[in-house]
Amino acid sequence: MKDYIATIVKNERIAENIYAVTFDLGEIPTVRAGQFGDILVGGTHLLRRPIAVCKTEGSQVTFCYQIKGEGTKMLKTMGTGTTLNVLMPLGNGFFVEETEKKVALVGGGVGVFPLISVLRAYGQEKEISAYIGYRNKDAVCGVEEFEKAKKFVAVTDDGSYGEKMNAVQAFVKDLKAGNTFDVVLACGPTPMLRALKAVVEEENLPCYVSLEERMGCGIGACLVCVCDLTNGKKARVCKDGPVFNASEVVL
Amino acid sequence: MANLSVKICGVELKNPVIGASGTFGFGREFNELYDIGAIGGVSTKGLTNEPRLGNPVPRIAESRGVILNAVGLQNPGVEHFIKYDLDWLKATGTCVIANVAGKTLEDYKTICEKLDGKVDMIELNISCPNVKSGGMAFGIKPQTVEEVTRVAKSGAKNTPLIVKLSPNVESIAENAKSAERGGADCISLINTLTGMAIDIERRRPIIANNTGGVSGAGIKPIAVRMVYEASQAVKIPVIGMGGITCAEDAIEFLMAGATAVQVGTANFTDPLAMPKIIQGLNDWCDRHGVENISELTGTLQLNGK
Repeated sequence: MKDYIATIVKNERIAENIYAVTFDLGEIPTVRAGQFGDILVGGTHLLRRPIAVCKTEGSQVTFCYQIKGEGTKMLKTMGTGTTLNVLMPLGNGFFVEETEKKVALVGGGVGVFPLISVLRAYGQEKEISAYIGYRNKDAVCGVEEFEKAKKFVAVTDDGSYGEKMNAVQAFVKDLKAGNTFDVVLACGPTPMLRALKAVVEEENLPCYVSLEERMGCGIGACLVCVCDLTNGKKARVCKDGPVFNASEVVL
Repeated sequence: MANLSVKICGVELKNPVIGASGTFGFGREFNELYDIGAIGGVSTKGLTNEPRLGNPVPRIAESRGVILNAVGLQNPGVEHFIKYDLDWLKATGTCVIANVAGKTLEDYKTICEKLDGKVDMIELNISCPNVKSGGMAFGIKPQTVEEVTRVAKSGAKNTPLIVKLSPNVESIAENAKSAERGGADCISLINTLTGMAIDIERRRPIIANNTGGVSGAGIKPIAVRMVYEASQAVKIPVIGMGGITCAEDAIEFLMAGATAVQVGTANFTDPLAMPKIIQGLNDWCDRHGVENISELTGTLQLNGK
């Protein structure tokens, strides 16, 4: 973990309301799939924006973000050469065990981006199938990355790109068709993760989900971004997560 | 190199910069970024007799220049802290200030007894705005401030007791005096101001608790004024806080009457804020020919006087 003075080398729109910003960190960071960075946009914003790492290439790191509030609105206007503080890498990230060969990625919304980091990290050694849900065809992005998976199923809520269904339904369809998986890795809106959890519990499949929550410090000190565990305890999304075993977390 | 060390109630701090309760955990996370032994002190996450799970999420919101939080005193309980964190924190070499909260007067006494002699100082949280019975009830009225201070001090016989004052009161000077009368060895202020931020799309408060404590750069002028008023009202030392982001901010508090300062929200904006503030204090003192930073305390001259 280090607070990099990061220089923007690219910041562009990649889909409706979605932007990708690439920073040069000046050195090669050690980042695991599913970890995130905390970006200081500045101005009157005292909190940083925690955003999942989408990909790293040498000293460059790319984050994809949805324009949601004033902070991300500010970020999208920042041009090449702008320097921002980026604290990273944060969180635990996704791990795929040696014994887990067939991996399913299930993602929706901005949750698709940390899954791209999984694909980039494990694509060579694992057999990866990606089930990715978008709102509509204008929201579709990351296709060139997901196409590198052994199998890529893109669906939309309105059927304007791929079949009309959500990512979990697409995943279930393949399960029912007889496909098997050793592990499922997911990121997306909570209702999507909840639906997925019900499916993997039924199928007895190991599943890891990456969660999102409003954060304070981003490093585990302030106890702002907690989630409920099934054992009655709380866990810190930023430090103990953002990736949790789906069976251990209340969604 | 200026001498940045300060003495509060007989306890020597390497420098007057303390991590504020609730923003710094027990120091472990920030220690991954820098040696927290180099900062003056750490005020721990608010401790209670029993573990607490805190409030539902979201627990935080932003507004221009400030943040709002309502964590609700989530903590593992004082005994867990003593068993698993205290020795580690002491070993870093920083001054250990245990921040404590209670539901009842008896709570305050027992928690102080448990910590007495084990920590460098105890900071009484009688002003947490985010839990129904988290001390706020004691922190509002001068009479109860005095009462809770007296009861807590009877438990903290051998440990300097800091009473952390709420700004959500009629007279900060009166409450400061009440703490002093009750036997406080020191006061710290300000805790957060109670506020609300609304998600206008949902027509609901952003924070699950509806209201939250407002902190950060935007509250600094209020805090400086209150530190000035409180320090004029009492003879015991004052620890100032509220929106401190840089060394110059800290110097304002010292001039207003504080012997030391706490830094909270700035740790979120810049996790390295405290080491930078300490370096900045040294540089400022050197530039201004100040040999001992303690000379700055209370040197404010009001206009027209």
